[in-house]
Amino acid sequence: MTFEHCVRCTICVENCPVYKVEPRFPGPKQSGPDAQRFRLDGEKSVDQWVKYCSQCRRCQIACPYGVDVAEIILKAQLKYGTEHISPFTAHLFANAYHLNALGSTFAPLANKAASFKAAKAVLNLLGISREPDLPEFRFFNMERGRRRKGKGRKVAFFYGCHLNFNRPDIGWKIRDMLVAMGCRVVMPRQTCCGLPALGNGDLDMAKKYAQKNASVLTSFINKGFDVLYACTSCGLTLIQDYPGILEAPGGKKIAENTYNVNEFLHSLLQDDKENRPLGRLEKRIAYHIPCHLRALGIGYPAAKIFEQIEGLECFVLDDNCCGLAGTYGFKKRNQDIAHKLGEIASIPIRALNADAVVADCGACRMQLGHYTGLSAMDPAEIIAEAMANSINNKKKSGHGIKRLFQKTPY
Amino acid sequence: MSTLMHDVVVIGGGISGLMASIYLAGKGYKTALISRGDPVCCLSTGCIDVLSTALNPLDGFGDLSEMHPYHLVGKKGVEQACKLFKEIMSKSPIPYVGSIRKNREILTPIGTFKTTCLVPQTMAASLGCRDEYVHVISFTGIKDFYPSYITSRLSNTGFSLYDAGVSSTLAIAARFEEKGFAADFATWITGLELPPGKVALPAVLGVNNPVAIMEEISSRINREVFEIPTLPPSIPGLRLFRALKAAFQDLGGDVFWGMPISSVERHGHIIEAVTLATSARATRVQGKAFILATGSFVSGGLFATRDSVYETVFGIPVHVPGARKDWFWNDFFTAGHPIEEAGIEVDSSFRPKQTTLENLFVCGSILARSEVMKNHCGHGLALATGLKAAKVCERKLT
Repeated sequence: MTFEHCVRCTICVENCPVYKVEPRFPGPKQSGPDAQRFRLDGEKSVDQWVKYCSQCRRCQIACPYGVDVAEIILKAQLKYGTEHISPFTAHLFANAYHLNALGSTFAPLANKAASFKAAKAVLNLLGISREPDLPEFRFFNMERGRRRKGKGRKVAFFYGCHLNFNRPDIGWKIRDMLVAMGCRVVMPRQTCCGLPALGNGDLDMAKKYAQKNASVLTSFINKGFDVLYACTSCGLTLIQDYPGILEAPGGKKIAENTYNVNEFLHSLLQDDKENRPLGRLEKRIAYHIPCHLRALGIGYPAAKIFEQIEGLECFVLDDNCCGLAGTYGFKKRNQDIAHKLGEIASIPIRALNADAVVADCGACRMQLGHYTGLSAMDPAEIIAEAMANSINNKKKSGHGIKRLFQKTPY
Repeated sequence: MSTLMHDVVVIGGGISGLMASIYLAGKGYKTALISRGDPVCCLSTGCIDVLSTALNPLDGFGDLSEMHPYHLVGKKGVEQACKLFKEIMSKSPIPYVGSIRKNREILTPIGTFKTTCLVPQTMAASLGCRDEYVHVISFTGIKDFYPSYITSRLSNTGFSLYDAGVSSTLAIAARFEEKGFAADFATWITGLELPPGKVALPAVLGVNNPVAIMEEISSRINREVFEIPTLPPSIPGLRLFRALKAAFQDLGGDVFWGMPISSVERHGHIIEAVTLATSARATRVQGKAFILATGSFVSGGLFATRDSVYETVFGIPVHVPGARKDWFWNDFFTAGHPIEEAGIEVDSSFRPKQTTLENLFVCGSILARSEVMKNHCGHGLALATGLKAAKVCERKLT
């Protein structure tokens, strides 16, 4: 729906995380449908504040009239980006993939360097916030790992930059779980999904990334593969933006054949119920729902799996944005916003006295782990632990799968 | 396409749909709640109007039109629904107070009084402040809240302005949730040296834990504090919605947010599944029974075209009062506007009349002849019919 369908009810405003902590941002209603009436082609944008929007898309989900509030704002951000000289950080973060690849190649060195105060000061001068913990790089990333494993149902795993460069252990856990459940898992050659470029006002670069991935993924889909994603933001980009704003060739096909890893696992577990693949797990967890999982409209599939795990106490929290929003919270300009939102999101988590905070999104995990002091886990880690506890699974053998069922794999 | 199996699928995430979902999830049924967006109760005052035409809402039943949905629920049913609602809310950070047998008044931001029944605890002290002194506190730069409306209407009042550093209701609410802010605020009030009486402020005492914040301020300044509901964005409405949603999720309910329903699968007299229009691959939600709680025109449950009114999900026939020219009155807000009667007619088991559908139940403001604005019965009707529809649905499932 276009801006003309907005009835100005302000439900989007009630759901905007940035609006409540940043007075310079007039909120989704005013920067979206309201301001859209005044935005003209061929006239230079003056609404600098559109850049405060973190694209969490909560407004769009909340709108009872189906107005694409976040998309209107995204287009305004891109318009602003092309008409003005972007700050250095925008160029830097738009290239997040290459930045990560560099960090991963020189991993021990890069991690050491980033831990120095002096390095933080230099980064701060460049416009990078001091507040969030910088992600640690891994040299042995998923690109360097094994690219094919298992037999059975064909799946292509789009692991995304965060798992690739920072948390390959989670990626391999997901791979091995899928193998254990009877899948042939392939890791296609892939690059950044394009969201960081889109979020930093560089539509052309985002399109280039999308084209590269799209040609690889469609070739797999044509061979009968299902595409799986673990990062909910990558997933949202593949499903919503590839056929949409990024106009990737074959985008519609990709969107139709792409599944969330937990959504897929849930259906596999459902089919395999008699074998009781999930064991007992005594844990109390706060499950923070990433904004982009909400926006995907598939419900909360990991929560459905958690329900089947005996002994697991799971509390679903879906009212707050963690505030990091990908590269958004790493910018000095957004430092205060990310800090305040991180604090707000941590309050209900702390109140639960949980053993761990669980989130599907790497950025949420970094942010909430930092602010709550709890260990931040991916749903896959919880599910893998429960699978490891299942007696029936221990009997399973197979190359490399055994590792999944050891108490401390990876 | 991915298929998800449920016992009951509730369509509409407002008060009525949430009430039905909570009841059924509490009984152990696998329940899915589908909503196109956040409900309009987020824009409401958060108060539960049961029936504001009589001092005791239950006494007012006699004055309602014969076909009013309240008669299908009965007085007992309404009482049960309100009791269950209060029970649910007592476990939330925002308990509700009030009696179903007695209406009460709360102060509005324009200095008038609104008749309602159950109110959030932050408005409990709002009763009976016509004679005693009330000091209204507003915030610098806040929009749509002008204490002078109140001070000019009520004689025994005064007002002060507090600078919270931010000016929107939501931003002020976020500040109240910061550590130490409420204490500083209380110290400032103490410094005002006010005459004895109550302190009123717009409803901005945080979103998550307002009662605790109110009690902190109240104990520090040693006087009663209450909130005045504001124009949207309305924080009491948001709290109400979130508390009910959390109650449903704690019972293991599934929520599907922000997705309209693109198609319905019918097999004879049975609805088998609905399909959610996600951006790409459709999600199919299958259920044994369905509850329709999509609300009236504002919520998008009903839609009016130039020559007809239709129901937006299943296309059930809609009761419309007379010809189109009869829907027009000069003043839309005049009590008893004919279009308020529009809606779905149901039988005693809340199944839509004029259809043969066996596993669909309808509740909330989409019901025909509910005349919510005339009777001031919005949230009360939603709670009562939501619970009742859930109960008949339960019988169908067993």
